[in-house]
Amino acid sequence: MATKIGIYFDQSAIGGGLDVEALAEGAEQRWSDIAPVVKLFPVLAAESARKEIAQDIEENELDGVLICGTSARVDWDLYRFDNVQVERVSLREGCVMAYKNPDGSLLDPDGEEAPELLRLMAVDYVNMGVIKLQKSNVPAPEISESTRRILVLGGGWTGITAALAAAKAKMPVTLVEQSAELGGRAKGFLKTIPLKAPHDKVQDTGLEAKIQELTANGDITVLTKSTLTRLAGSPGAYTATIAGPSGEQSVEVGAVVLATGWVSQDKKVLEPLGYGKSPNIVTAEEFEKMAKTGGITARRVAFILDTKLCMPACDCDGAQAEEAVTADVAASQPEAPAAEGEEAPYVYEDMESVKHLPFSNAVSSVVALKQAGYVADLAPDAIAYILYDSMVVQGVHERFYKAAQDNPSIMLTKADIREVAVDGGGLLVRADNTLLGGSIELAVDLVVLPTGMVPTTAKEPIMQFEYRQGPAFPDLSLFNGYADSNYICFPYETRRTGVYAAGCVRQPMTLDSAEEDAYGAALKAIQCIESVNRGVAVHPRSGDLSYPVFNFVRCTQCKRCTEECPFGALDDDEKGTPKPNPTRCRRCGTCMGACPERVISFDNYNIDQIGSMIRDIKVPDNMDVGGPRVVILACENDALPAFDMAAMRGMPWSPYVRIIPVRCLGSVNAIWVADAMSKGIDGVMLMGCKYGDDYQCHFVKGSEICNRRKENIAETLDRLGVEPDRVAQYQVAIDDYNAVPAMVDEFMKMIFEKGPNPFKGY
Amino acid sequence: MAQPLRIEPDVQFIRELQAVGGDSLKKCYQCATCSVACPISPADNPYPRKEMIWAQWGLKDRLLSDADVWLCHNCGQCSDLCPRGAKPADLMSAMRNMAYQKLAPCPSIGKWMSSSKGLLILTAIPAVIFAVIWAIMAAIDFGGNFKGSIFPQGEVVPGKIFYGDYTIDPVFILVTIFVVSAFFTGVKNLIKSIGPVGSTMMLGKKKNLLVCLLEVITLEILPHAKFSQCGDNTEEKKFRKYGHMCLLFGFIALAVVTGCFFLGHWLGRIEAFRPIYMEVPLSFANPFKILAQLGMVLLLVGLTLLTVRRKNQDPAKQTSSWYDWYLLGVIWVVALTGMFTQFFRLADWAVLTYIIYYLHLVSVFMLLAYLPWSKLGHLVYRTAAITYIRYMGRK
Repeated sequence: MATKIGIYFDQSAIGGGLDVEALAEGAEQRWSDIAPVVKLFPVLAAESARKEIAQDIEENELDGVLICGTSARVDWDLYRFDNVQVERVSLREGCVMAYKNPDGSLLDPDGEEAPELLRLMAVDYVNMGVIKLQKSNVPAPEISESTRRILVLGGGWTGITAALAAAKAKMPVTLVEQSAELGGRAKGFLKTIPLKAPHDKVQDTGLEAKIQELTANGDITVLTKSTLTRLAGSPGAYTATIAGPSGEQSVEVGAVVLATGWVSQDKKVLEPLGYGKSPNIVTAEEFEKMAKTGGITARRVAFILDTKLCMPACDCDGAQAEEAVTADVAASQPEAPAAEGEEAPYVYEDMESVKHLPFSNAVSSVVALKQAGYVADLAPDAIAYILYDSMVVQGVHERFYKAAQDNPSIMLTKADIREVAVDGGGLLVRADNTLLGGSIELAVDLVVLPTGMVPTTAKEPIMQFEYRQGPAFPDLSLFNGYADSNYICFPYETRRTGVYAAGCVRQPMTLDSAEEDAYGAALKAIQCIESVNRGVAVHPRSGDLSYPVFNFVRCTQCKRCTEECPFGALDDDEKGTPKPNPTRCRRCGTCMGACPERVISFDNYNIDQIGSMIRDIKVPDNMDVGGPRVVILACENDALPAFDMAAMRGMPWSPYVRIIPVRCLGSVNAIWVADAMSKGIDGVMLMGCKYGDDYQCHFVKGSEICNRRKENIAETLDRLGVEPDRVAQYQVAIDDYNAVPAMVDEFMKMIFEKGPNPFKGY
Repeated sequence: MAQPLRIEPDVQFIRELQAVGGDSLKKCYQCATCSVACPISPADNPYPRKEMIWAQWGLKDRLLSDADVWLCHNCGQCSDLCPRGAKPADLMSAMRNMAYQKLAPCPSIGKWMSSSKGLLILTAIPAVIFAVIWAIMAAIDFGGNFKGSIFPQGEVVPGKIFYGDYTIDPVFILVTIFVVSAFFTGVKNLIKSIGPVGSTMMLGKKKNLLVCLLEVITLEILPHAKFSQCGDNTEEKKFRKYGHMCLLFGFIALAVVTGCFFLGHWLGRIEAFRPIYMEVPLSFANPFKILAQLGMVLLLVGLTLLTVRRKNQDPAKQTSSWYDWYLLGVIWVVALTGMFTQFFRLADWAVLTYIIYYLHLVSVFMLLAYLPWSKLGHLVYRTAAITYIRYMGRK
């Protein structure tokens, strides 16, 4: 609770004829009891001004500073003062630059006097800024004991690299490997695709040296023939139960790197390409084994990368949609009985499908190039054919492709495989639409088919979380089982804070990419531990000190918060009382938005705060005279910057709206809408990220959950006689700045058509 | 669905192609820029894209029966524009080099001609032949010119050692018979390999083969029509056209002189043709002597233009193979030794004249006797191929 606030106006940032002095005077009068300092600066973004503010803080013992001028996204590093809360009021981007007259005409930039509507807007924003500070505290998290140990699951190429990387950063590591020996898949490689410049020759993996370095490192404990059977607790204080040859043991760990890799796809999917018809039709995996043991006698080998024959006949949208629906149903099944409180055995949905074959194509392509090289080296007259639909060589692998192409013994062509037939002792590959100008037939001794790489997380829960939301990562069916989170901005992150996926469990990849992944995930794990031990959020709100606080007195054990948390941060007891785990939490506020009893709050972000801000907006009693008022609750990650950019690019919007940033649409509590409606505000726009399978939400589920809640709100409004479409949700991406003003104007048009909120004036 | 065609690559053939100038052929990724860039490639079934994939796959039969390699005049547009540095023009040259190696009989000559390793033996053959002749002539003191020395005494006349009637004419008559019969087989093989592939339905009467040949010579070869079509008229490209023109017309001039002299020399011995009798050395007023001088100058100009062009080539775009350098080198030696023999003779420097003339004979032998296996073979093969294609209804 800021009780002594300094309000500062930046005249250099405010134009459009807005009378800043009158604004300051108004603020001084209204907030005289809590704002001892109200000042105007010709230029606020200057070191001199900063010093003066620091001095004011000291002299007047200020605990809050309100900066009225530029957007919070500008000069954010300039206005940081120790132990003092700072709030920004965007009078430049949010008011003057965003303003246009109700008739659509633009603001005269050199005008002497600001329009009345602009003045009212500025007053509202300044008042909301003061209230925000008034209802906000500096969070003081409790810092609990934490351990620095990193658990690495999987002793293959990725896991070993991650363990070494973490150990080099002085973190103790426990590495768990299921089999008796370290090395995983890479152990079976004769050679690997090039890992270093000039990237044109196959090379030894160097796995042996890596393993030696690992076993020689005193900071790394290696547990072979072991599996993780339980992971309880939360980041910084996990207890991992590991079953090994000598029974179970518990290890305290701070974070986890998941590098459990992949398993081979069921070879049944390769039957349309002849698999099983002849022992001379093998997979790339089997061929590698043959090469490693020197068992290749074939001199003419066809590597087939075109797998269209293996795909279901109808790949049209309808079928896919149907499939997706069944997948969703299947995914929700295991949870449904648990929600009803019945004891049902946990069944993990097997997410392996034929699709893992094309998903693995980028790896299959370079592997085919590598193995074709094995064949070429056998004899001067040996021939390797590569028949592809799309030769996918990513990044620097292009050099390897070029080198392979340059090999006289390797023949490449795009091809639609028609069939692989057994012809006496040999094999015939027939293909259409080749680069040779038509259909061709090749007589070969051996056919090598690609190996589909199915992530281990598609087959088993792996993590065995002891979380209320279950032992596995949620919604992996969206990613066909890959331990991905669709975080284009945040690779390695999973839906469980503290667990970072790397290598082929995340995406089919080659050793070089896996190595990079391992470093990335190890760094993330370290970041997690180093955030948890300071009591701050790990990501995406890195460094956020706030955390959800529960007022259990009013809790009705409805379980909404525990069910809706996208990150499984909340467990509960038998009665259903939520048990927060602050270090699992990402501070999105989805629980706060969920709670019908308004039990959950953050020190600096809470129901009362936003509610009070909404209630403080001056709403004219007569809409025909003063115009309507609309509140926009905007996601601060994407929608708000989009508004800023629209303003900066000269695309203003209706002067009747007031934008209030929220952490995530998931944190929007229905009460705020009720507050707005009862106050006489004519509409509420909820602007957040895209949701659905290809969501863009920072917090994965926020905008989706908001959309679901909005249906309930609409129902309630309908019962009260308010048109439900006065509350609408919009999906906005950060680069939609050219679209947001039109969205606002469209909504305003609808409000004008409907007329005033029936509750106005009550 | 079309019956798939059995494909049987020949890896050894790919390596051979690479060795004779197509070393970048595997780099092609079939974007077809080359076929689009080529100024003379036909719209239907264009080259050199298809040749590139055939070469990459070692499809020997298809390539050997491909007449299109003879349609290409090696302007290098395709190689200039190739995004992958696959140098299709070099492949087309390599294919022709391969033809020089394989079409004519005596595969060992083809082998020797294909790389610098064969140069020694190829030089040794004429060197020995003419050295033996020289030795015999000196030993029998031919015409009483030698008087115990290995060099003839008195007035400097090369004919004192290599008297045409007994030495040069018999040797080169044999060489000519050898070359003509080799070309006969070579052209037969060429036509057979092209086969009826690419024949077009002809409306009306089929043209006579001789008419076709005449058309090719007068409409294409002499005016260098394809060279003009090939590429833009940049300075560099003009170099090539004019260089080639100089060489061609220079050789025609020298061939006319040699042919007429041969006829005059032998027919003139018959009483009825007495007035046309000729004997070396011709006087400088003789129109044939003047034509010969003109031919020599044309050769030297042409050689200079072509050599400078090859030297200035960007090796990333186009390279010169052994076949290119062999031919240029031999013609250089022929022209220079011919020129200096004449100079030294007029200067009365006996020893130098005889030695240089000996070298001249060796180089002329190397130019003529190996013609069906050298790049100069294109004189016959390209003409034959273009004529045959025209005869089959394509242009």
